[in-house]
Amino acid sequence: MVDAARHPNIKVKTFTNVERVEGYVGNFKVQLREKARYVIAGRCNGCGDCAKVCPIEIPNDFEMNLAPRKAAYVSMSQSVPLLYTIDEEHCIHCYKCVEACGALDAIDFSQQDKVTWEDIGSIVVATGFNHFDPSVMPEYGYSRFPNVITAMEMERLNNSAGPTTGNLIRPSDGTNPKRVAIINCVGSRDKRFNPWCSNFCCMYAIKNAILLKQMYPDIDLSIYYIDIRTPSKGYEEFYDRAREMGIRFIQGRPGLITEDENTHNLFVHSEDVTLGKVVEHEYDMVMLNQAAVPQPDVDTVGNVLNIVQSPGGWFMEYHPKLRPVDTPTDGIFLAGACQGQKDIPASVASGSAAASRAGRVLHSDEWAIEPIIAQVWEDRCISAQGKQCGICAKACPYGAITVEVGTAAEVVTAKCHGCGGCVGECPHNAITQMHYTDAQVLSQIRALLADRPEEKVFAFRCHWCSYGGADLAGTSHFEYSSNERGIRVMCSARMDADFIYEAFRLGAGAVLYSGCHPQDCHYITGQRVGAVRAERLLKTFEKMGMSPGRFRVEWISAAEGDKYARVINEMQKTIDELGPEKLAEEIDAMKPEMEKRARRMYEAPGVNEASEYSDVMALAMTVQEVSDGK
Amino acid sequence: MESEKVLTFADQVRAIPGGEHFDVCYSCGTCVSKCMIQQKLEPEYNPRRLLRMVNMDMREEAFESPTTWLCSACDLCYPACPQEIHISGVIGAVKQLAVEAGYTSPLETVVVDESLCSGCGICVMTCPYEAPHLIEKEVNGVMDRFSEVDAEKCMGCGMCVAACPIGAIARPGVSNAEVASQIKIKKQKDVPTLAVFVCDWSLRVDEDLEMLESYPDNVRIIHIPCSGRIDPQMALMGLRSGIDGVMVCGCAPGECHFKRGNYVSTCKISLLDRMLGQMDLADGRVRFVQIGTQDRGRIKHEVDAMLSSLQKEVA
Repeated sequence: MVDAARHPNIKVKTFTNVERVEGYVGNFKVQLREKARYVIAGRCNGCGDCAKVCPIEIPNDFEMNLAPRKAAYVSMSQSVPLLYTIDEEHCIHCYKCVEACGALDAIDFSQQDKVTWEDIGSIVVATGFNHFDPSVMPEYGYSRFPNVITAMEMERLNNSAGPTTGNLIRPSDGTNPKRVAIINCVGSRDKRFNPWCSNFCCMYAIKNAILLKQMYPDIDLSIYYIDIRTPSKGYEEFYDRAREMGIRFIQGRPGLITEDENTHNLFVHSEDVTLGKVVEHEYDMVMLNQAAVPQPDVDTVGNVLNIVQSPGGWFMEYHPKLRPVDTPTDGIFLAGACQGQKDIPASVASGSAAASRAGRVLHSDEWAIEPIIAQVWEDRCISAQGKQCGICAKACPYGAITVEVGTAAEVVTAKCHGCGGCVGECPHNAITQMHYTDAQVLSQIRALLADRPEEKVFAFRCHWCSYGGADLAGTSHFEYSSNERGIRVMCSARMDADFIYEAFRLGAGAVLYSGCHPQDCHYITGQRVGAVRAERLLKTFEKMGMSPGRFRVEWISAAEGDKYARVINEMQKTIDELGPEKLAEEIDAMKPEMEKRARRMYEAPGVNEASEYSDVMALAMTVQEVSDGK
Repeated sequence: MESEKVLTFADQVRAIPGGEHFDVCYSCGTCVSKCMIQQKLEPEYNPRRLLRMVNMDMREEAFESPTTWLCSACDLCYPACPQEIHISGVIGAVKQLAVEAGYTSPLETVVVDESLCSGCGICVMTCPYEAPHLIEKEVNGVMDRFSEVDAEKCMGCGMCVAACPIGAIARPGVSNAEVASQIKIKKQKDVPTLAVFVCDWSLRVDEDLEMLESYPDNVRIIHIPCSGRIDPQMALMGLRSGIDGVMVCGCAPGECHFKRGNYVSTCKISLLDRMLGQMDLADGRVRFVQIGTQDRGRIKHEVDAMLSSLQKEVA
């Protein structure tokens, strides 16, 4: 930290909030609020004279409230920069600190918050994690029984810079505990609170146990656990060392702790799973190894940066395996435990990775993006005609579209990832997607349904999942109906209702609307946009009296080739069971309605040419079929 | 064809409402440590292992396991389970299958004396397990109503025994006569006498029980299966025989071993206390204390407090 602060190219801004982030990769504009600390940065030399004279004492949250601090304070003596702060909330304005500061004259009570805008190339989010508060679990008695402490309190109590200068004492009477229990998974792996494994607590418990054993060789230590997880290099050996040192490991999650009211000794009631017996052991002190949880302000930070969260509140990475430090927003990266619970080596690795990913942006004059992006036809956008709309902006998972009444919606190209959600949603066909224009998709549909459409099972597949599923079905040689005809679009969100109407207008026997499972969507929330639309279509077709099964919505992952084949076969069966006569009757009956519904699309620019393309394509396909000897 | 699939034992348990979700058990042992049956009654009792038996399709072993029969569905474990498994629901499902397979409960259950039973149905309303039901049968040529107890459902709490207005129901070991015979304390000079009815489940730690037994003769400890077993008449009998105070010790609200015995008892004792007040007997002769699972050592304070308040009456 000291090195970073001294580096000529690094500016450390402490006590500062990021309030707004605008712009895009390489060109962010960031609004910072430097909060007033009532101490002038250039003058304060960190001598601490102000704190010595300050008459106010309040609990020191850095010391887990085990020690007091003054209203003029630094949170810890190793703070960088070593700069005191006046805690305005608790200050009584006696101005003794001003007097003590004397000739330095570093204290200035007239200071105000300073708001600045900075040009930023890329952003690394390293906001870390928080600790679960075990007082919501009455069974462990934390905050009622004085000798039940949390891991962070233990950390301060055995730290030589801590409030007891490293002397481990019992909060109830100040004596050294002789018997200590450590309870793992407090609030972790617990569906009532946090379903996840907090990753580092097993090692953390073992570390604390070994540390205490080294400090107090006679201490009796037990670790209560559900499973001990030591998956990294050297971890299992460390666990072994703890066992060799005589630390007891008891498999069994304690159901409750009781306290002797006179001695404040604690009784841990648990099942010793290995013995299959309920055991009750007495301890002088119990340490709760509490869960790692996301920071309480993840929503605020997420909203400011326009990054999303995984279930539970951790910031979501672009891809869990292949792009673990990128966010879906280009130019913003994740480091450390804000992305998920991590131990120190993993945090350092992810920090280094994020730094080098961020460096790539800083060293580039140009930034390559996918060519598949959305474009607005300004003359068709009703926002330009002064009407309220904004449907496209709502559909965009990346916040890439800005809508202001009076001007046409605007797509920030650098932010657009090309899912096509906005294109599919726009009721006026005022947005198109490069490489997947309405005309291009239409011409594919028309070409594929040019010949005997009523026999066809027509599949819309998303690029990332169901197309992969179809591919896998093929490469795995899963047999499915040869009447299947499918096209690819980038996301189920791009599957415009008009495409479905058009497919049915052309007389398709059945239509499949397929995409990723909700949690797998490549475009964060694209699948949800698509799913809502698909639900609506299902209802519409049901009302129109379409035979059930002719329009199907299925979420198929790239690994579910068998599911793809099964769904297609089932749809083929639906058509077969309906019989050609009844099917033809139904298609004919619905044709006018489908034409009416798809009508708006024909007005979109370039769509007229689609029929020409499709003729050419249909011809090309016929030629190919002939040359294949069919 | 899928319909021809043979259901495994686990499938059968899963199919019974309440029997779902046992698959997610990761054997942490929280349920076992919360439950008091292993500690107090049966060393082989272990809900975690029963869930495992279901998971591993060990049908016969599960049916023969004491866990299947001894669980009283108090649900102390349910709110503590980190996997949110309704353990008593799973055990109930296993028990249902066991009963269907012809297994019978090894528990000591209540017995109805048909020569006394009037078929009033109070026991039906009282039972938390729906064990008693009314039947009609012909006796000496006359149709009459009787209560009949389903032995597979009865957990032996004795709430019906206390509720029956004519004493037609008894549980061996804690029948009215057997309990009443214990409420006798020799009158002592200047020392108050106190009868303490202790429910078998409210005092989790053995030290508290040992502490109670260590009181001198003026404090009489009477063990009952549940505070709901207490009959106000017993308290009155005690007071009439010259005992200064009666204390009933039960579980904390929501922690009753027999679902709602402590609630029934709360109502009974508060009514009795009010009645005694109307009879101009000083308040505080009868008390109901509820000891929670974490209230280690509290019972001593309660007994001491009651003794010292009775001391004032005696003096």
